[in-house]
Amino acid sequence: MPMPNRTAVIAFSGLSAVGLLAGCAPAATESVTPTTDTATVEPTTGSTSESVSTPVPLADEATVDSGFADGTYTADGSYVAPSGPETISVTVTLADGTIAAVEVTGHATDPQAKRHQADFIGGIAAVVVGQPIEGLSVDRVAGSSLTGQGFNAALDAIRAEADA
Amino acid sequence: MRFEGIGVPWEIATAEPLDERVQNAILQRVADYDRTWSRFRADSLVARIGREPGQWRLPAEAGPLLELYRELYEATGGRMNPLVGASLARLGYGAGMSLKATGDALPAVRWEDAIAWDGVVLSAPRPVSIDVGAAGKGQLCDLVGEVLRAHGVEEFVVDASGDILRRGAGTIRVALEHPADPRLAVGVVELGDGAICASATNRRAWGDGLHHVIDALTGLPVDDIVATWAIGADAMTADGVATALFMTSGTRLPSGLGVEWARISSSGRIEVSAGFPGEVFA
Repeated sequence: MPMPNRTAVIAFSGLSAVGLLAGCAPAATESVTPTTDTATVEPTTGSTSESVSTPVPLADEATVDSGFADGTYTADGSYVAPSGPETISVTVTLADGTIAAVEVTGHATDPQAKRHQADFIGGIAAVVVGQPIEGLSVDRVAGSSLTGQGFNAALDAIRAEADA
Repeated sequence: MRFEGIGVPWEIATAEPLDERVQNAILQRVADYDRTWSRFRADSLVARIGREPGQWRLPAEAGPLLELYRELYEATGGRMNPLVGASLARLGYGAGMSLKATGDALPAVRWEDAIAWDGVVLSAPRPVSIDVGAAGKGQLCDLVGEVLRAHGVEEFVVDASGDILRRGAGTIRVALEHPADPRLAVGVVELGDGAICASATNRRAWGDGLHHVIDALTGLPVDDIVATWAIGADAMTADGVATALFMTSGTRLPSGLGVEWARISSSGRIEVSAGFPGEVFA
């Protein structure tokens, strides 16, 4: 897969950006009130920029109209927190017409809102969507859930020592 | 068939139960591999190489293994290096398994300074601590698969605690474990004839940012990527790439490896390769 080599800017609607957050972090959505028509956009790299008003679909299986060039797109989405307006940045990397990466960064200034943003940006558990494996009807799990007995024994020994 | 090998539980699924002869051949293969490559036993070959300088004739599997390591060493600018054994031991993940750091982080020695490998003989002018943990488990899946095929078993799943080699028609569904919660999946892939290997820093972690994926240039655990998956034709390549993805984006890995991949950063960034045969719930 080639590295994105074109940069352009897409104006997300505020709703799209917040929609992403809602999808990513159900627990954090109470603090996020969607607003529309408030997106501001900045180019991330490069000097060429163009504005496209169509929101980028952000669902995991989304494909992008052939009109979208490969590249990294960043948009700020605004929402109104109890303390006032706050923004988050959403960076999307498009490659071969599909979303290769999504990154969310918070810009909250209010401590409360900052904490809410940190909750889903800093904590991987809150940022990354998970679905119960039990409900997925899968045959196997690829992960590192089973750790070696020697390792576990060492951990047990340390816990015992720490308790003593 | 279930057994414990190279420190982790294994499961081999086949249509028909494996007879004792095949089971013994598998256990023998795993035991041989452990005796060569285990950093955790004093009588292994790599333990000797860690004590004595010399020229060492390595078993046949070393050829493709070190070739892959060399390719990933170069692709990651030296950050992935099989000579991180001493770095891991310094952090407490050595033969004694103290799981306590015994000093400052120790960067690994550079490959080109420490060893020469001609495909058969490894020359180490000074003792050097080799750790093939990044691709060794995957390679052992492949080698177990060869034992099965040599005994006429053509369709099977070898599951070495999350590193999975599958041979046969059709596909199975494999969940991608959530890096923070093993009860959850962050995605699902369809695995046909091939392998999927995963790596995550939440496991084999022993507190305060210490875990088993080490940046050879610093001797410290990597901290910006928390979980990776790689899907390839063989488990050794997929396993090695799963570790390399902690050091570099899959877009910078040699395309000749033929691997599809996904990774998740500590800030929640999810990258998925264009041809990834599945879904990530981003």
